[in-house]
Amino acid sequence: MTGLIPFLALMLQATPAAAQEPEIMAALTQETVEIRSDFSGAELILFGAARGVEEGDDIVVVVRGPASDLRVMRKARTFGIWINRAPVRFEDVPGYYAVASTRPLSELGSFSALRRSGIGLDHLRLSAPDTETRETRFGVEVTVSAIGEEVAEYRAAIARTRRTEGLFAETAQGVEILDGGLFRAVVKLPPRTPIGDYVADVYLFRDGVAVASRSATLEVRKAGIERLIYDFAYENSVLYGLTAVALALLFGWGAAAVFNRR
Amino acid sequence: MQIYLPIAEVSVNLILLLGLGTFIGFLSGMFGVGGGFLMTPLLIFIGIPPAVAVPTVANQVVASSASGAIAHWRRKTIDLKMGWLLLAGGAAGSVAGVQLFGLLRSLGQIDLIISLCYVGFLGVIGGLMFVESVTAILRKRRGGTIARRTAHRKRNWIDALPFKTRFPASGLYLSVIPPIVIGFFVGTLSAIMGVGGGFVMVPAMIYLLRMPTSVVVGTSLFQILFVTALTTFLQAAQNQTVDIVLALSLIVGGVVGAQLGARAGRRISAENLRAILAVMVVSVCLKLGWDLIATPSEMFAIMPSGGAGS
Repeated sequence: MTGLIPFLALMLQATPAAAQEPEIMAALTQETVEIRSDFSGAELILFGAARGVEEGDDIVVVVRGPASDLRVMRKARTFGIWINRAPVRFEDVPGYYAVASTRPLSELGSFSALRRSGIGLDHLRLSAPDTETRETRFGVEVTVSAIGEEVAEYRAAIARTRRTEGLFAETAQGVEILDGGLFRAVVKLPPRTPIGDYVADVYLFRDGVAVASRSATLEVRKAGIERLIYDFAYENSVLYGLTAVALALLFGWGAAAVFNRR
Repeated sequence: MQIYLPIAEVSVNLILLLGLGTFIGFLSGMFGVGGGFLMTPLLIFIGIPPAVAVPTVANQVVASSASGAIAHWRRKTIDLKMGWLLLAGGAAGSVAGVQLFGLLRSLGQIDLIISLCYVGFLGVIGGLMFVESVTAILRKRRGGTIARRTAHRKRNWIDALPFKTRFPASGLYLSVIPPIVIGFFVGTLSAIMGVGGGFVMVPAMIYLLRMPTSVVVGTSLFQILFVTALTTFLQAAQNQTVDIVLALSLIVGGVVGAQLGARAGRRISAENLRAILAVMVVSVCLKLGWDLIATPSEMFAIMPSGGAGS
């Protein structure tokens, strides 16, 4: 980690500064995050260097975690109690999504550029395929949602809930510019961080569009005893169940034996 | 000191878990109850997903009922014939309950059903216990003797059922249907609520089957031991929702707590004990009931699609 900044700076100097083609480099301080028994979140630093930077350029860092399908239900009062109703299935929702930038996103990028790359909580693609149909209207094929405006509320609920859990984040001043075209951003992983492969995309924005981008990868995995137990439970479920029962019996028998002696 | 639970996938304080195990163990030693019906809601309150809390508490109940069942086995206060019938029903109930649990989870309604079951059972049992213990305390204050109602062997609908057989240890001549039905019901509860079910089975054995009190507790522990063991196994094998780390933390605390509780229990009068327990049961019931009717701060519930994970 300590050697990272000089290394990146060296790479910048090695290439002639005359070629002003914008380019970007990025690396994470860790390529794997291990979840052990004392895991209560982690903080990584993404270092990067940009070449051919002009005045007014911006850096955006987007970190995405493993995607999974979600079921979102709206609570409704029935006979006085709140019951989950009206499920909507969302496909490929990232388990972790964090955006950090040098300025607020709306100031640095155009709507279409942000939407195309899915940058920002407002532009993150959250699709509910079961409610959508493709229709041709005025000669243009568009996506029409069967539940209309309501799907927006469902999307907002996903973003809101994930934000409170620390799994979704958007920090307007999250990218810090250092000397010589270097920059850094802090990636905060909460205790409930899902395991899997993560991708950090770094973009250089100029005049509202991304002119250069680079990716770095990260793996979050269970390690040590946590991993052993997790793998055991999912891969050898039958044996795991028997072990759980056997351990409980052993403790119960042990307690009875000790108690009886007195 | 935080500990990351591998199956529940949450980070909790280990001291809190041990303390919770000790506290519930203390209560179970003091009152002679399994404690699962208090443990599951408390785990949910501290943030363990209900889908993991329920099967894991069943695992913990295996340990606490094992020590009790062994003690009763030595004293020969188990009606084995009755126990096996209750167990046969219980095993079927447990299998059905685990299926139902999986189905409700995939429908996104498991939390609601768990809460509703708890509010219903805790409300009825806690209420009855409270009324009974307060009456007993008041009667004692007035200096009267506690009148013991003798269970009259009146003929009722249970005696009219077919497939009668003798239960020598209980001194009963009874149809095999009621024990199987009671066992089935308790087995289903065990899978859905993560409880042993002693709080339902013991009254049923006394008032419906009219078993002598001397064998009631031992026989119910015998059934609970095997049914919770089966539930733990099925939940682990089918739904992968048993967290061994969580279960062990609770068991270690529970073993210590039960010994302390058993000693403390001898110094307090039985009526006061039951009144305290009733107040606790009713408070947990009210908290769960309030959460069902109060307007939630978040109007949407988000869960993994397709039943995977918790």
